[in-house]
Amino acid sequence: MTASTTIAPARWPAWRGSVALRVVQSIGLSFVITDLLILIAGKNPLAAYEQIVLGAFGSWARIVVGLNKAAPYMLAGIGVALCFRGNVANMGAEGQIAIGGLAASIFALTCAGALGAATLPFAMLAGALGGVVWAAIAAVIHLARGVHEVLVTLMMNFIAWLVVAEILHGPLGEIDAGFPQTPMFERVAWLPKLIARSDLHIGILIAVLAAIAAHIVLWQTVTGFRWRLAGASDKASHYAGGSRARSVFSLMAVSGVLSGAAGAIEVLGVHYRLIEGFSLGFGFNAIAIALLATLKPLWVIPAALFFAFLETGALSMQRQIGIPSSLVLVIQGLSLIFVLCAVGRGARKV
Amino acid sequence: MDAALVIDFLSATVRIATPILMAAMGGILIERAGTFAVGLEGMMLSGAFSGVVGAYLSGSIVMGLVAACVGGLVFGVIIAIATTRFDTEHMVTGLAANLLALGFTSFALRTVIGRGQAPVIHTPLLESIPIPFLSDIPVLGALLFRQPPLTYLAFAAVVAIALFLRRTRGGLLLTASGENPLAVFAAGTDPIRVRFTALLAGGIFAGLAGAVLSLQQVGTFTDGMTGGRGYMALAAVIVGRWLPLGTLAGCIMFGATEALQLRVQAFNLPVSSYVIQMVPYLATLLVLAGLGRTARLPAAIGQPFRRD
Repeated sequence: MTASTTIAPARWPAWRGSVALRVVQSIGLSFVITDLLILIAGKNPLAAYEQIVLGAFGSWARIVVGLNKAAPYMLAGIGVALCFRGNVANMGAEGQIAIGGLAASIFALTCAGALGAATLPFAMLAGALGGVVWAAIAAVIHLARGVHEVLVTLMMNFIAWLVVAEILHGPLGEIDAGFPQTPMFERVAWLPKLIARSDLHIGILIAVLAAIAAHIVLWQTVTGFRWRLAGASDKASHYAGGSRARSVFSLMAVSGVLSGAAGAIEVLGVHYRLIEGFSLGFGFNAIAIALLATLKPLWVIPAALFFAFLETGALSMQRQIGIPSSLVLVIQGLSLIFVLCAVGRGARKV
Repeated sequence: MDAALVIDFLSATVRIATPILMAAMGGILIERAGTFAVGLEGMMLSGAFSGVVGAYLSGSIVMGLVAACVGGLVFGVIIAIATTRFDTEHMVTGLAANLLALGFTSFALRTVIGRGQAPVIHTPLLESIPIPFLSDIPVLGALLFRQPPLTYLAFAAVVAIALFLRRTRGGLLLTASGENPLAVFAAGTDPIRVRFTALLAGGIFAGLAGAVLSLQQVGTFTDGMTGGRGYMALAAVIVGRWLPLGTLAGCIMFGATEALQLRVQAFNLPVSSYVIQMVPYLATLLVLAGLGRTARLPAAIGQPFRRD
């Protein structure tokens, strides 16, 4: 605490301009480095980007794949953005998504017969609840024992993966599937389509509405004000009558709901079953997306779309011209590092 | 349970613990100096990759080891520049570096060497060096004194780092930078430079930890081959309460649970391998919760230091 008096570092040039500009510059810089990598690999960067764009937007079917991919990223990203704003370094979206998907799957598999048309909303609810429970455990360990939230949530991610694996290899697994997955859900548990006769499910609509809701809560309500205050200054928050425990708990719960719902829409909307590793990396992407959006809920929408379309585009780039799709990880990693450098701790400011 | 099975289990424990231990030693240096070491995974992966590529291109395993150090170092530098010069949040910077390492190693493997496909590279493995006399002790000799060189190095590093932190001026400066950087500054040393240097050293250790996997145990590189061992090293540092010997104990415990998990069927255990795999993480949580607020997390870890 003593050493964190804030005076701009003098030795390295500070990044100037508005936050939005700096984010765009960071992404641009990461593409420049990526271009160099493609050139070193003996390929044409322009051809690579052409394939990425074609793969992402080349047909309605491709766009749908990207939009469906963006939905869970968006939901989880909003949760992470809110937490980071409130100074809760929640790294646990990854685990909350996995447990959310698991809870929704268990519900869809066991209760579809009894509930009929009501299965879907309850399965979504089960997913959100699963996420909340997982987040709440982390919050309780953090608050009750004073353990750093990053460490708790990181450890709980690994445990969540193993819980899902355990259940998939055990009681819920489809027999003779040859791959750890559950049997397919009944149709009543499938997420409805946003547009008939396409694969586009309503997840993206839910996610965009969630972003708008989060924006309103953050800026127009007392709860949102308390969260921002908690992120800005412990002291100010304390004098305003806020309690750290309450803001941590509510923020983790919100992240749990959103991430759990993200896991639920992935299993109920895309796979119609639980598959091992269905959400691998989603939570870490959500962190990157939240930071790329400089922790603004509405900006999470374009940031999540950027990540999702980059990923769908890269797969087709790999198929068409043989540039490995792992290039996307390079772009994501670089742009995240540059955004962090460009925005610095300013990303946490109210 | 017969003796052969037990010896097999114990030697597997040492084998699995070694890369985690090597990375954890880097983690101790980084964290005691005041930076969260989430980036260990990426440094380790980079080390594993450049080790194999170095050995493959030069045909010399020694060059491979040098390359592994450089590979870890590069990511140490990236994280150091971001966290010390641009004041980025340590944890997220580490995650970003891990993402970058995963993508870059996989991309470079396919394009620079593989021409579009994942190439199959095999390098010779580092061979065991039996220590005269000691290696003839029954059971213990085979277990501890007939090991490949990096295993000796990892265990020697535990002692060296313990002495360094306790007994040398450099070690005291390092821990002071993690506890009270202002005091270090007042005493005439720049704590930012100390943290930077610690990240470089930590990068080298983590790079070598990657080499333990790729050059000493597997003999090739595959995408994401570190498979979370960097995070496990981070957990071992925490379980070991940021002390070298405690961390060694943590690594051995993690190695043992992993070895046990691979032998669930051989030992006829009534639990599934996934439940056993949870043990390291549950143990870390329990230790953390047990220590609670008394946990000796370096006091100024994660906080930026700026000269006024």
